[in-house]
Amino acid sequence: MIRIADLRHRLLDIPGLAVDARHIAVIGPNGSGKTTLLSVCSGIEEPEAGSVLLLDRPPSAVKVGWVGEFPDRTLLFSRVYDEIASTPRFRHRPCPETDRAVRAVAEVVGIRHLLGKKVAALSGGEKALVALAAACAGDPEVLVLDEADSHLDGVTAERVQRVVRESAAAHVLWCTQSMDVAATADCVLFMENGRVRHHGTPEEVFSALEETCFYPTLWRVSR
Amino acid sequence: MRVELADLVFSQDSFTLRGSGTFDEGVHLVSGPVGSGKSTLALLLAGLLRPERGAVRRHGVLTTQLLLQFPEHHITSPTIAGEAASWGLVPEDALALAELSARADDDPFHLSRGELKRLTLACALLRDPDLLLLDEPFSSLDCTAKRRACRMLEKRDAGITVVFSHERAVLPRVDAIWEMEEGVLAARGSVPDAIPSWQHAPPYLRCALEQGARPMNIRLSDAREALCRIRG
Repeated sequence: MIRIADLRHRLLDIPGLAVDARHIAVIGPNGSGKTTLLSVCSGIEEPEAGSVLLLDRPPSAVKVGWVGEFPDRTLLFSRVYDEIASTPRFRHRPCPETDRAVRAVAEVVGIRHLLGKKVAALSGGEKALVALAAACAGDPEVLVLDEADSHLDGVTAERVQRVVRESAAAHVLWCTQSMDVAATADCVLFMENGRVRHHGTPEEVFSALEETCFYPTLWRVSR
Repeated sequence: MRVELADLVFSQDSFTLRGSGTFDEGVHLVSGPVGSGKSTLALLLAGLLRPERGAVRRHGVLTTQLLLQFPEHHITSPTIAGEAASWGLVPEDALALAELSARADDDPFHLSRGELKRLTLACALLRDPDLLLLDEPFSSLDCTAKRRACRMLEKRDAGITVVFSHERAVLPRVDAIWEMEEGVLAARGSVPDAIPSWQHAPPYLRCALEQGARPMNIRLSDAREALCRIRG
């Protein structure tokens, strides 16, 4: 369960919201506050006023895996292996356990062949996959993806979706500009000017957006 | 006016790019998975990378402009107006086209990614080069901004435009489709004939094709029109 109460932070203004869905898609125009909401929900930023609770705890007490839009900004180490290993290493996990976790998650994300490579030699999409692997290496309770699919082709984006679907995280908060992806979520939040304008099932939210370009393209051709 | 790739070969570490073909006047879409070599091909076409073998031959192309995937890599000025001026443009025109007139004196880094993208795209279009290369012009934009960008592109009525993109929802009207797969450039040909053989076609187009529709171009509106024609 994600509970937001009287939240005011930068442009965000969310009086109250309780979402009890696993896969939550956050959509809306550029500059509507999606990234800010995700930052507050993952504990990267403390809200100026109000509160956010994930699984009845403040975000700082929850294991959150974060995948940003620009992996260049979050990748810390020069080798792919070290980047993914950083999550268990920062938690002082023993070396054999760390190694097992890195290899297991690399297998799941499909990037085993990249483990020995330098991060600088990767393409933008490969970096996004490494960032996803690093986020998943810590067995996150909540997985947060901030337009992680903006720079991915269809095949890679589908791989990210599969990994996210199969992860053990209790909640996935996924901000995306792909409405076809958002249409597969359990719950959709449509944001505008810092507010949650619509929330509910994809059916409910997109029926309110049928006149806009936010309506899923696949629904337009298949209904 | 055309750009010819003659048995182009370019290698970097374990990656090798190969390509042959001719880019005539009009809008070309180069699609393909991440890491397939789209950005490398853009740099080769722009003359910023030198091929190992073969050649990029420009015929009648006097000016070339490459729009980088990450718009902040273009920034050279502390103000938005200054940034537009650095492209050799009248700032008012560029800012009006980018719908940023009120932000002339702001720092370009205070713009959102989408706004910055709009600014660089407007500048590149106003330069009106013979060869315009756009590397992922739609990534990070919301659908409203993508549509606006497509309309700006479609208004360009001369020269060669090459759009390198993996976009799957909002696309411009194009004249030809190319695909990159593991470093190899393949020409699918002119639209609409190229559409059925387009491997990376967006889901809505694939869905329309599966229902027996034959869209005249690649936009969502083209797919819907084609469906209306067969459904009556």
